[in-house]
Amino acid sequence: MSQWLSEVIAEGQRQTDWLAGHRQQATEALANIKWPVRRQEAWRFTPLLPVEKRSVSLAAAVEQHGSAPVIDGLDAYSVSFAGNKLAAQQGSVPAGLTFTLFSNANTEQQATIKALLSQVKPSHHLFGQVNDALMTEGVYIHVPANTVIDTPIRLSQLAASVGDQHLRVLVHVESGAKVAIIEDGFGDADSLNTFVSEYVLDAQAQLEHYRFAMYTQQAMHVGSCHFKVGEKAQLTSNIVGYGSVLSRLDVDVEYTGEFANANVNAIYLLAEGELFDLHSTIEHAVPNCTTEENARGIVGDRAKAVFNGRIHIHRNAQKTLAELNNRNLLLSRRAIINTKPELEIYADDVRCAHGATVAEIEEKALYYLLTRGISRSQALIMLNFGFIQELITQIPNIAISDWLLHSLRERFVSMEVK
Amino acid sequence: MLSINNLHASVEEKQIIKGLNLDIKPGEVHAIMGPNGAGKSTLGYVLSGRDGYEVNDGSATLNGKDLLELEVEERAREGLFLAFQYPVEIPGVSNMEFLKESVNAMREHRGEEPLTAAEFLKKAKAACKQVHLPLDFLKRGVNEGFSGGEKKRNEIMQMILLEPSLCILDESDSGLDVDALQVVADGVNSQRDGKRSFIVVTHYQRLLDYIKPDFVHILADGKIVKSGDASLALEVEKSGYAFLGKAYEESEA
Amino acid sequence: MSEQIEQALSKQYEAGFYSEIESDTFEKGLDESVIQRISAIKNEPEWMLEWRLKAYRSWLEMEEPEWAHVDYEKIDYQAISYYSSPKSMKDKPKSLDEVDPDLLDVYNKLGIPLHEQEMLAGVAVDAVFDSVSVVTTFREKLEEAGVIFCPISEAIKKYPELVKKYIGSVVPRTDNYFAALNSAVFTDGSFVYIPKGVRCPMELSTYFRINEQNTGQFERTLIIADEGSHVSYLEGCTAPQRDENQLHAAVVELVAMDKANIKYSTVQNWYPGDENGKGGIYNFVTKRGICHNDAKISWTQVETGSSVTWKYPSCVLKGDNSVGEFYSVALTRGRQQADTGTKMIHLGKNTRSTIISKGISAGRSNNAYRGLVQMGPKADNARNFTQCDSLLIGDQCGAHTFPYIESRNPSAIVEHEATTSKVSDEQLFLCQQRGLDAEKAVSMIVNGFCKEVFKELPMEFAVEAGKLLEISLEGSVG
Repeated sequence: MSQWLSEVIAEGQRQTDWLAGHRQQATEALANIKWPVRRQEAWRFTPLLPVEKRSVSLAAAVEQHGSAPVIDGLDAYSVSFAGNKLAAQQGSVPAGLTFTLFSNANTEQQATIKALLSQVKPSHHLFGQVNDALMTEGVYIHVPANTVIDTPIRLSQLAASVGDQHLRVLVHVESGAKVAIIEDGFGDADSLNTFVSEYVLDAQAQLEHYRFAMYTQQAMHVGSCHFKVGEKAQLTSNIVGYGSVLSRLDVDVEYTGEFANANVNAIYLLAEGELFDLHSTIEHAVPNCTTEENARGIVGDRAKAVFNGRIHIHRNAQKTLAELNNRNLLLSRRAIINTKPELEIYADDVRCAHGATVAEIEEKALYYLLTRGISRSQALIMLNFGFIQELITQIPNIAISDWLLHSLRERFVSMEVK
Repeated sequence: MLSINNLHASVEEKQIIKGLNLDIKPGEVHAIMGPNGAGKSTLGYVLSGRDGYEVNDGSATLNGKDLLELEVEERAREGLFLAFQYPVEIPGVSNMEFLKESVNAMREHRGEEPLTAAEFLKKAKAACKQVHLPLDFLKRGVNEGFSGGEKKRNEIMQMILLEPSLCILDESDSGLDVDALQVVADGVNSQRDGKRSFIVVTHYQRLLDYIKPDFVHILADGKIVKSGDASLALEVEKSGYAFLGKAYEESEA
Repeated sequence: MSEQIEQALSKQYEAGFYSEIESDTFEKGLDESVIQRISAIKNEPEWMLEWRLKAYRSWLEMEEPEWAHVDYEKIDYQAISYYSSPKSMKDKPKSLDEVDPDLLDVYNKLGIPLHEQEMLAGVAVDAVFDSVSVVTTFREKLEEAGVIFCPISEAIKKYPELVKKYIGSVVPRTDNYFAALNSAVFTDGSFVYIPKGVRCPMELSTYFRINEQNTGQFERTLIIADEGSHVSYLEGCTAPQRDENQLHAAVVELVAMDKANIKYSTVQNWYPGDENGKGGIYNFVTKRGICHNDAKISWTQVETGSSVTWKYPSCVLKGDNSVGEFYSVALTRGRQQADTGTKMIHLGKNTRSTIISKGISAGRSNNAYRGLVQMGPKADNARNFTQCDSLLIGDQCGAHTFPYIESRNPSAIVEHEATTSKVSDEQLFLCQQRGLDAEKAVSMIVNGFCKEVFKELPMEFAVEAGKLLEISLEGSVG
């Protein structure tokens, strides 16, 4: 047990609000947890030393919290959180859904939230338990059956002040309903940010999901997104990761009904001494579901990227189609990529494949650009960036796609290409 | 315009070009024919400066500049254009982005202002039309998922946009049906303005029915073994490369 | 239809007989005195005993690994006998004529005649029975070429400098739990030295047989291919059918000096246990080779036996331009569990590795590929290509892929692909419609699936491996 973890437990026990019962379950679980060391598979390539050395202090609300970057042309209801409090909002709650802050929940809503909490998130996530114990603010979104919401909802976590922030998101998309939700995180303050979201998709629900973990510098981040996907439901999730001293995202998709599908795209772009670790687990617990996952990363300078993509086909999950593809470019001799695509298959009538590559730019493509008069450095940027651009251009929301193209390109160009 | 003198070049220590001489004046169209393995494609790669193609001896100048001293992109900016036999696919890099970068790289080299997005789009659309490519090609990845014919037309479109002084067409006819061949030839012929020169590399005489050469050279075993006018191509068409004798047998082997 | 396949797969284990051979077997249990006794019986020099004891002391401090995708009852290391030798071997027979005919008969029954005139002309055999080497054939012929091929117990005495220099140099004593145990108690195994520039004139092979009950087999093999030499080595293994599990924890070390070439092939057919998972060999093996400049090591394995397999033949590509290869077919059925794969550690420039792994799971078995490809910061222009294919037969088995890829070099290229497929009813129907029976059809499909690996085996073994799979797929199909 680390000092930090015992402080988390103590802090969790101190909180006596309506979530105390839930917090207590978590602190009890945490008390029995073995602090991860290298030998533990889930943290094998991402040492938790920077967390271990911290002491727990919840970030207080600050005046100067900055704001999430503007996404031009995005007409969304945007809410941002800083210092464990609502910091700003823009637009209005789209008609047809309910949007409840945990801090504003009435008794009835509290009961609903309590019933939903940790129903999607698997219990083995250490920092998920930490979020359970310490979450100070959260959002509950409920989209009633057959409601199509055209206005996306954007939830931002701003790591603006020193200290820890723990944000929780619960979303229930009822059958036949449709919604788009953007979760993002920014900031570089010396902080530890957990951001846990849980999604329940009922039959034929459609969710367009985004998670941009754009924390940088000293802002540590251990976040997760968990999905239960019901019959014929559709999930698309687009993930972007920057690195900070420690940034980790866990994505869990579990199919609960047949003929559902999920499309997960992830991009990571790392420079300097940054670390980004993406773990994804797709649980094909029922037959006839389809998964397509693509993760691509560019790792430069002294950065380190970790990718662990697991596809688990359960005993009866016949007729599963699952594909996972991870491609990486290393730009520097000091950069590291650790990738592990995993298949665990217990059903025979399935089609599963995964692939992973670490490569350099194809000589032929480079030559082609050069023969057209493009300079070598420009050609390298085009080719390297083209590698992730392919995923960005598939993003259904044009405003988000344009914004990402622009900001990722800017970040990429500023990265030292060695 | 282009002057090649006693050029020797090798790939992976294997000698492919073995003393090649060629002089091309502005506005001329030269066809280079020859059996497989004669070094036809190699010539284009060597002149454009591809990695791994080593010049062991001789010289090549374009408009008085020593080509062999220059980087690949500098040669391109000096006006050398190579239309590839098998253009590479580059997913993720859109045609539009690619063409704009290269057109502006050329303009910058000539001391011209870069084109604005709107100006470029107008030019690109016109070029697209000229080679019968749908406009959505501009949005797609470079050559990504293009058919063989589309790739060849894309090469000609680039030639039209980049306005080079010397174009090397490497087997631009291979794999094309008659209609596609006509489109490619029309594109090329539209660029014949009395100043621009062409090297048309081909295995068959067919293309030369559409693009009339001023000179025809037979390349075998790394050298030009015979030169003549357009009638030489017809001769080859009729009786094959057998007249090459020993040199031919060696290069086919 | 899948029932037909199931039946096709429930075959008899043909090497499951036990031979009444009178043996001297240690009482169960392990402590320093046991190690001293092993060392004394083998007449070992002092340094060897020291080395063993150091390994043993480290082992005591270590923990049995749990990360593999296998599940078995904890091994009681005090319930194993660490040495067993046929009584007739006590007097150390000088030639084949002095070897107990009953012992030779065991090998005859297994299809491995040890009389040179009856043998495949191109193959020299070291036959290891429980804890001792029974005979090594063609030694004179090999000696003419300067090749040393003998039991490792003999090499320790006859070539101490070579053994001392290389033993533990590729797999250190404390490399892992089972390697440490082996280092402490290893009893026999083969030693090979190929001198500079020599192309070994024949295939070398070792045949391992576990016979005695409640014993473990801990063999140790060391192959040194000096500069520019070539050798092809094969090993095979079988054991009687028993209800108890038996432990086999071997260590194999290969050293390929500059420009040397080692081909190491294994056909592993230890008793796999019955269909309910009773009995069978625990096959916990550490195999690793080091490649110096321009050297090449190629591992080929056909794994059909053992109840639990834990095995990762690996290559350390230390020298520039060195090449590592791993070709594997692993077939599991019944309740068998296999966790096998390889490690390719690219340290030198322009190093190349290829991994082709074919896993076939049937019955209630679990078959996992686990591999590591590592590109070090100095491995400029290194290349790896990995292909892992799984074939599932029936819906009660599992097929898993756990590839670890680590790259620290921007010019290195790693490509990994994995796919999974089944023997489909359509495929079977097609074959049957064309007049083949289900058994033949399955065998054809499986053989086709494994072809890429089989073609890497030396000819003699390719035939054996093909037959082995065919037998594995043989049965009453109705």
